[in-house]
This record gives sequence, structure tokens and C-alpha cells, in this order.
Amino acid sequence: MNAAPALIGYAAVVGTLAPKVMLGSLWPQRSPVLAIGVWFALAVTFSLSLSLAALNVANPDAHLHGLLYSCRAVLGLGSSADSALAQAGVALCVVLVTAHLAGFAFHAVRARVARGGHRDVLEKVGRRSVHLDATVVEHAVPAAYCLPGRRPRIVVSTGAVDLLSGTELGAVIEHERAHILGRHHLILSGSHAFAWVFPGVPLARHVREQVPLLLEMAADDRALRRFPRGTLAAAMFAMASGEAPQGALAAGGRTVLVRLKRILGPARGAHPALRCAVGAGAVIAPLLPVLLVCPVGLG
Amino acid sequence: MRRLGELEAEIMDCLWKWGRPATVREVVDDINAHRPAAYTTVMTVATILYNKGWLTREKQGQAWLYTPVRSREAYSAALMEDALAASEDRSAALVHFVEGMTDDEVSALREALRSTGRGL
Repeated sequence: MNAAPALIGYAAVVGTLAPKVMLGSLWPQRSPVLAIGVWFALAVTFSLSLSLAALNVANPDAHLHGLLYSCRAVLGLGSSADSALAQAGVALCVVLVTAHLAGFAFHAVRARVARGGHRDVLEKVGRRSVHLDATVVEHAVPAAYCLPGRRPRIVVSTGAVDLLSGTELGAVIEHERAHILGRHHLILSGSHAFAWVFPGVPLARHVREQVPLLLEMAADDRALRRFPRGTLAAAMFAMASGEAPQGALAAGGRTVLVRLKRILGPARGAHPALRCAVGAGAVIAPLLPVLLVCPVGLG
Repeated sequence: MRRLGELEAEIMDCLWKWGRPATVREVVDDINAHRPAAYTTVMTVATILYNKGWLTREKQGQAWLYTPVRSREAYSAALMEDALAASEDRSAALVHFVEGMTDDEVSALREALRSTGRGL
């Protein structure tokens, strides 16, 4: 049986229809961490289906063991793959896997380099505040952000310190701390890498757009464990409307609106049964292509 | 063992605080007021800062007089400009609390707050 058409069809469904279902659902906003997991499960499913389809073209009659065999063949460990088509299939699979790894490394390193230069200046210019557990920079425009990675820093401008009340500032810093503790920068690099490997694929575009927003929501949720909703909402409004320069910073305001409505809205947390079902789906989705190529009982 | 960055910050801090050219000896004495620091170490780090373009220096007798190239405020402004730049690689490197908004977005936000009875 040649499973390649079925695998490609499955990849097409995951790459185009699945994002529409995700964007049309309400639960991702209520369980942002689970939603990030599902987006990445879809990404893995998509990549895996295409890789297995490529391998299946290389060796149509085989199940997974045979596919591993043809990989060995290409690497020169066994008998050589017999046709040009077979070699192209294996080569495509190798290219896909390598592109993911290279994309992740590229985006992670680029972000790290950008942070490195920034950190060098920050360490001299900023003043560490033990009281706030943050670095304060003399600047009138309200700003708050974090430098993740090794030796993480939370940075607030004096503009933000002047603008916000004590608890509001605490909520902002708690939000930034959630980014650092959750290693959100690595998750961002992962989403950038996937979008980089598959430009133009709807799933990749939506992963690239949705994951950053969901990470913000996850950080908001963590801040809400220690601070009241009204405090975080007030801080968010003050900071978003207080950043002076127009134009250059215009992007992103819509996401603040989504986050704010979410914080203030009544519905909190997805139903446990729904969470279980979605979680199970996220585990099964990437397994389906593997089962398709290696049917149980044929081993 | 303190990191190089911390000593760099301490030296810059002294020079910005005083607002005048100063010798390594003066900086060492200032740091020694609250912790021990070797003259040669401070001199090495001051030379590093000079080579990195943070300090200028001119000879006065036997010693070098060091001056910051730019004020602390100028560096702060450049740093924040860099942080607030909405470029592609910045969005991955520095995770902001919120992005800035247009006037229309601010009024939509105010409306959302009003509708939930939490007017600001």
C-alpha cells in the first residue's frame, strides 16, 4: 500500500482546516498554555506527515521498519536505494528535519545576539532595584519588558514607575517574570522556525501570529494568581495608552484589547472535560501518520 | 569573583555621578569605600571601556584622565529607542508587556473597560 497520498491529504487538512477550527474556538483564550501545546502538536503533525510521505515515496511497500532501512541505505549503511525517486524522497525528508533544526538555531541565536548588545548597555545605564526586583532605566516613555535567557533581566522605565501605582507595577513585573520562568523566548523561536520552514502555509502563519498572543495570555494568567484583575487591567491600559510615539508603535494595540477583554470577561478556564479531549487530540494527531505508515499488526 | 560587566558599571557610575574627568586612582578610592578593588583591575577595565568607545581619555602628568563619551541620559534614550523599536528580531528578543496603540485603539479599549463597569 502506498500511503503517500493519504499522508499528503492529512497534512493538507492539518495545514489549512485545523487553524480555522482553532481560530473559531473559544477555549484557546481560556486555556492559553493548552492552546500553545495544540498549535505545536499541529505543527509537528504537519511536518511529520510530509516527512513520512517523502519517505513513503522512497519505499512505497514498506512500513516504518522499511523506511528506517531506506534511510540507512541512503547513508550508505545498507544496500543503496534503487531509484532516483526513492533518493529524492529520502533527501526531502532529511532536508525537512534539518530545516527545522537550522531554523530554530537561527532564530534563537539571532534573538540572543540582539539581546546581548542591549544587555551590555543596560548593565551600565540601568539601576538595579532590589525593592522591585527589576532594572530601572531613566526614560520618560513608560516601558516594561524582559531580557530572557541566562542572567535574565526585567526592565522598567522611570516613566512606567511614575505612571503606575505600586501594585500595578507589581502586576507588570509578575507578568514579565512569567515570561522568564516559562522560557517563553524559546517557544517564540520555535514558532518562528516553523513559519520560516513553511512560508505561505496557513498553519505556519497562524502559529507565528497566535503563539506570541497566547504566551502573553499565559503570562497574564500567572500575574492574576497574585494580583486582582482590575489591577492588571488598569496597568495594561495605562501602559498601552501612555506610550507616546505614534506610528512606529501602532502595531499590537489590537492584541492588548483582546487581552484586556479576556481579563475582564466573566468566562475563566475551559471545562476540564474539554481540556482532556483537546489534550488527547493533541497527542493522537501526530501519531496518526505514524500509524498510517506502520499499521499495527503488520509489523 | 565579580563579573566584568559589574565593574564596568561601577566605573561608569562614578564618572557619571561626578560629571568631570577623573583618574583611575579616584575611581578605585571611591569603590574601596564600600569594597576592596585592585588598582590594576580597575585600570584594565577602564582601558576596556576606552577601547569599547564608552570613555575618552587624555594624559595629565603620569595618569590618564577618563571622561564618559556620552551622558547616562543619552545612553538611556538610545537603549529605550532600541527596546521600543517594533522590528522583527526585536519582537523575539525582548518581550514587551504591551505594545503602543493608536488613538482609535485606545478609545476601543476605554469602551471595553466602560462596558465591564470598570471605567478608568
